[in-house]
Amino acid sequence: MIRVEQLTKTYGPNRAVEGLNFHVDRGEVVGFLGPNGAGKSTTMRILCGALGATSGRATVDGHDVAERPGQVKRLIGYLPEVPPLYSEMVVRDFLSFAARLKGVASVGPSVEDVLARVGLSDVAGRLIGNLSKGYRQRVGIAQALVHRPAVLVLDEPTSGLDPAQRVEIRDLLRDLSAGDTTVILSTHVLAEVEAICSRAIVIHKGRIVSDDAMAARQAWQVRAIVARPDDALVARWLSLAGVWGVDDLGGGRFRIRAEGDVREVVAAAAAPSGLLELSREGSLEDVFLALTAEAA
Amino acid sequence: MKALTIARRELHAAFTGAVGWLVLVGFGFLAGVFFQWVFTAYAEASTELVFDPYAAQQLDLGDHLLAPFFGDLAIIVVLAGPALAMRLFSEEYRTRSFELLLTSPVTTGDIVLGKFLGALGFAALALAVTAVGPLSLFWFGDPDPGVLASGYLGLTLLFGAVLAMGMCASAWTENQIVALVTSFSAALALFILGMFGMDDPDAWLVQLAFTGHLDDLFVGRVGLSDVTYFVAFIGFFLFATAQRIESLRWR
Repeated sequence: MIRVEQLTKTYGPNRAVEGLNFHVDRGEVVGFLGPNGAGKSTTMRILCGALGATSGRATVDGHDVAERPGQVKRLIGYLPEVPPLYSEMVVRDFLSFAARLKGVASVGPSVEDVLARVGLSDVAGRLIGNLSKGYRQRVGIAQALVHRPAVLVLDEPTSGLDPAQRVEIRDLLRDLSAGDTTVILSTHVLAEVEAICSRAIVIHKGRIVSDDAMAARQAWQVRAIVARPDDALVARWLSLAGVWGVDDLGGGRFRIRAEGDVREVVAAAAAPSGLLELSREGSLEDVFLALTAEAA
Repeated sequence: MKALTIARRELHAAFTGAVGWLVLVGFGFLAGVFFQWVFTAYAEASTELVFDPYAAQQLDLGDHLLAPFFGDLAIIVVLAGPALAMRLFSEEYRTRSFELLLTSPVTTGDIVLGKFLGALGFAALALAVTAVGPLSLFWFGDPDPGVLASGYLGLTLLFGAVLAMGMCASAWTENQIVALVTSFSAALALFILGMFGMDDPDAWLVQLAFTGHLDDLFVGRVGLSDVTYFVAFIGFFLFATAQRIESLRWR
């Protein structure tokens, strides 16, 4: 659906993005990870036609972003880092305006539909400038969704939201991807990537440092403390599917290295030895820090 | 088509908040004051000329009442235009709402034309408010409707020129005050320049200025060269604005 080849963007002597290559299939939900200034927003803005690339190319559904921007923009719904809102407008009017800009055929029903989907029906008649940050963010998302785009590009969609709102947005994105929408989102919250993305691309200093997020998601370390440690316990753990290493840290404390979430089976196996504590240690966060530190 | 969508939003935005209404009230009030001035002057002149029928015949509602009225309004247009145009792009840059237009399936031409038409639509409303006085002349006299039409055509073209220039300045900066000062200085210069070179109407500086191109329109003579001047002026600044917007994508 999205194909990016050797994409480079320089601002004077600064390279924001350098030789980016990746592709995203239809219906995938891809997370962009990286520290601030890594080039995530730049990449997204190029995909959405807000910015021209210095070299390289990007295509969306076969249309070149630079050569056929109109076609591409019709396919994409984009939420920038700062939601693009007119604070003097009423929510419903603003969404009607966005719908018309994007060439929606039946403006009224589309707007009502998106209001309901994003949970804005209650505030549809209010001025955007008077809304809380969470609602403003939702209006931003609604604006990106109003023309039912095949591709959704969201730059930090959950920043500034409270935990309950984050979960709502997360559920919304999950529904969308189930409905065959391709989603690219950037975030600082790694738990979010783990919760909704089928893949994560880690960008650092304008380059992709990792694009096999499955490994990142599956690199689990579980820390366990048991009352009566013995060799049989270690053997039981090692026989479990997915577990590929157990470190004895002494004093009944162990670190179990595994692929994927093995907490349940690890706990079951440890029960006879008197399991006291079981927690997840390290995760995507560690992988992320390791990757970005390595490349620094 | 998309340009009209953008124009409609601009026009709507002008009326949320007090500024749009204040501008309309200001136009109405000042037009009232100006009309009162020219009307009084005209009345005095006609009283004085009661015993001079030949001179009285020369006294004309168009030349001696409407033309000076239009001349006064032109000053207000030059003052108000930059203030109305300053937020067109600057405001959107500052609040980052411009990203919506940049990433929607609309062309740069649609954006520029839409913004311009929106602002011009508001300008037309402001001018309509000023027409109350002149229209009242029909009640007790018989002014030449042609003079009225060509005068308002001149004012609309002038408004368009100042707005196009102001919009271009606005497209260059996210600071509205910078946009205002730049376009206001330029508009004032173009307005005043013409007054200096009155004795040599063919000097290029005079040709460049607004003033000389308005005189004929204000007395009812619609000249092709004057209209072309304004249309070209507006066209140039719309083009320059579009170039600027296009360059934003390639920074």
